[in-house]
Amino acid sequence: MDRLSNNYRKGASFDAPFRAASLLADRALLAVLLGSICVFVLWPMVCIALRSFQDSGGGFTLDQYRTVWSSYGRSLGNSLFVGALTAFFCTVLSVAVALVLATSRGWARALLMGVLLITMVSPPFVSSLAYIQLYGRRGWITYRLLGLRWSPYNQWGVIWMQSISFVPLNAMFLQGILSKLDAGSIQAARDLGASPACILRDVVLPLIRPGILVSLLLTFIRSMADFGTPTIIGGRFNTIASDIYLKLIGYSDLEMSAAMNMFLMAPSIAAFFLYRRLMRHCSAITAARQDRQTALELPLRRCGGMGLLAILVSGLFFLMMALQYACIFLTGFLKVSKGAYAFTLQYWEQLMKYNLTSLWRSVGYALTVSLAGTLFAMLFAYYMERRQVAGRSFFDCLVTLPYMLPGTCFGIGYILAFNAPPLRLTGTAVIVMANMLFKQLPTATKLCSAALTQIPVSQERAVRDLGGGHWSGLRDVILPGLRPAFLSCFVYNFSSSMTTAGAVIFLIDPGRQLAVFRLFDAVYQGEYAIASLIATCIIAIVLAVEALAYLITMKAGSRHVS
Amino acid sequence: MYLELNHIRKSFRDKPVVQDLCLGLDRGGLLCILGSSGCGKTTTLHMIGGFLSPDAGQILLDGEDITASPPERRPVSTVFQSYSLFPHMTVLENVIYGLKFRGVKRGPAREKGRRYLEMVGLAEYANARVYEISGGQQQRVALARALIVEPKLCLLDEPFSNLDAALRFRMRDELKGLQQELGMTMVFVTHDQEEALHLADRVAIMDQGCLVQEGSPLELYRHPASSFVSDFLNLDQLAWGEDGTLMKIIKKGEDF
Repeated sequence: MDRLSNNYRKGASFDAPFRAASLLADRALLAVLLGSICVFVLWPMVCIALRSFQDSGGGFTLDQYRTVWSSYGRSLGNSLFVGALTAFFCTVLSVAVALVLATSRGWARALLMGVLLITMVSPPFVSSLAYIQLYGRRGWITYRLLGLRWSPYNQWGVIWMQSISFVPLNAMFLQGILSKLDAGSIQAARDLGASPACILRDVVLPLIRPGILVSLLLTFIRSMADFGTPTIIGGRFNTIASDIYLKLIGYSDLEMSAAMNMFLMAPSIAAFFLYRRLMRHCSAITAARQDRQTALELPLRRCGGMGLLAILVSGLFFLMMALQYACIFLTGFLKVSKGAYAFTLQYWEQLMKYNLTSLWRSVGYALTVSLAGTLFAMLFAYYMERRQVAGRSFFDCLVTLPYMLPGTCFGIGYILAFNAPPLRLTGTAVIVMANMLFKQLPTATKLCSAALTQIPVSQERAVRDLGGGHWSGLRDVILPGLRPAFLSCFVYNFSSSMTTAGAVIFLIDPGRQLAVFRLFDAVYQGEYAIASLIATCIIAIVLAVEALAYLITMKAGSRHVS
Repeated sequence: MYLELNHIRKSFRDKPVVQDLCLGLDRGGLLCILGSSGCGKTTTLHMIGGFLSPDAGQILLDGEDITASPPERRPVSTVFQSYSLFPHMTVLENVIYGLKFRGVKRGPAREKGRRYLEMVGLAEYANARVYEISGGQQQRVALARALIVEPKLCLLDEPFSNLDAALRFRMRDELKGLQQELGMTMVFVTHDQEEALHLADRVAIMDQGCLVQEGSPLELYRHPASSFVSDFLNLDQLAWGEDGTLMKIIKKGEDF
């Protein structure tokens, strides 16, 4: 009784100055969040648009656009061609893989998920590396096994590589929708006499149509934005993204690259708004009463031609993935001598001597970005979901925009925006980490928002009802409730930071290399063994950190419960 | 007997859910399986519908053993608790979906669909999307979708549990009217005693996977097999008419 009244007095002793200070801090925090979004997302994009119309003296000109049109029209056409075909092939593959994933269970599901997980934490460029090793001029399969002599460096290689490497993300996304489909719809169709093949055609595929469209759209944009694959295996086949890469890295021509980027940025922004519309349809489908994920009750083997095709196609995909990773892990430890392969640690020692600083720097950056980004995302999600913030939909839209923005745009935008005072950041570590953070913020925020909707508003009201302010609500209800989101957010941020390449490649200082770019250089220069070792290290580190974060959160969670 | 369940057993992970259940129902009758949650009534319904297969026992419908046939082959259709309408189809498309597996052409199917929609009072909503109509209307669509295929048996899994009290009473009377009009044999699962006694020709009370008593509402009232039955049905609160139909439920005061 005594304690209760003491506590009550403590709650009541929120005197006026304290309240004012707390309100001020609340507003200040919000201002910092929204302000940094404007500076680090909106401003760089505005800079690209402005710069693309500027001549070297600062006046208005359309020269850049004329040059882009006359000399890069072909690359633009190439980009559209590759983008369209990649989007199609990749989506067909993804739907097949997602169907197999969603309908499988037990160890088969665990195995398939494991394979996808590894592909998702792999650095980019590794599939190109494996491609050259397996199917290249001296490829293990094409040359040594089949005795073919062919050049893999052309547009078909690019399309093939991109289609395969974008599958894991799309497949995970689609299988998420599939496993949250209302199981009742499928039961009802069966009950009315539909065979599995009819259910697949009449119910399942129409239901996930918005998801399929999202996959097409995202893949198209990702393919347009990808400069790594065409640079490495395109040969003489150029896309607009690989041209931008050359223009910027090779010639440092900012005005021209800004104008070229406009051709990527404008369609991306248009695609972005289409994407948001489609995603609303997606969530309408999965909003059905089902909150836990269950395996899709659909025997694929009895689904007729389409079902068999899905099994066949995804079987091929997983076989290629297995080959690809076996190839990557082996390349680092095998040496050809007199036509035979022998195990060697020679490259490993070379890597150790070569210096590992870039790897450790990558880990340091990734940890920093993960912690800061997770905190930022949690706070931002809290203000957006729970508090009446003016311009909510505008900021929500702005923060999601980088998700669709090609890496080249986001990189060049940062160069243009932050190379002059008062915000002179080029060449520092801050610009790199800020870029990673804001590039990853859309997904991180989405993870946190989803977790927030699980916390009943009434809990927060209870805190206020009992005498606590916004801060107490944030500390005692919101942050503890976001614990599961913290894990997924941290893991997502970490693995993305370790493997991201798109935008950051234009921002890093040559003296502060990151592991991913060592990898890129190694692949580009044909040092495949070193490249494969770096890739292996990155994958191992990401998996280890993920496991660690998982263990810590589980432990903290169980202590919290007991 | 038109529908017969012979010595049905079902366990989930060694936990018996339905134990040696025997039930029967005549053609055109309405059987209500009544019990509190976890008593095995929904499991029983799923076994009749074919979504679960019994560990032992036999299910006969109209003289035919349907124990092993999958849901799509059974002449049985279900009204699901959450309706399970197809969100990407219109009301009419939902209603006529089952007809395409019975070789009905699109034109006649739409015509028949309109007739059934009229029967449940939804003729003007034929082209609406299912998420645009209310819960009670969705319920009627689900009912029409199940009945249009003219099943030998129609199953209803707590169909009114998502509706408010007033609507529930109305839907109850509508269902009874439809059932008698079509001469449809129905099995109905609920945990609501009043609903069961009002609707059913036969009531089967289940507890912990076992059948406790089966009979007409009046039989249960006159000769409850155990104190469990009379307690569960609150028999001392019921008033009966001369013809054996339930008149009303006497609400006790708040004096407990």
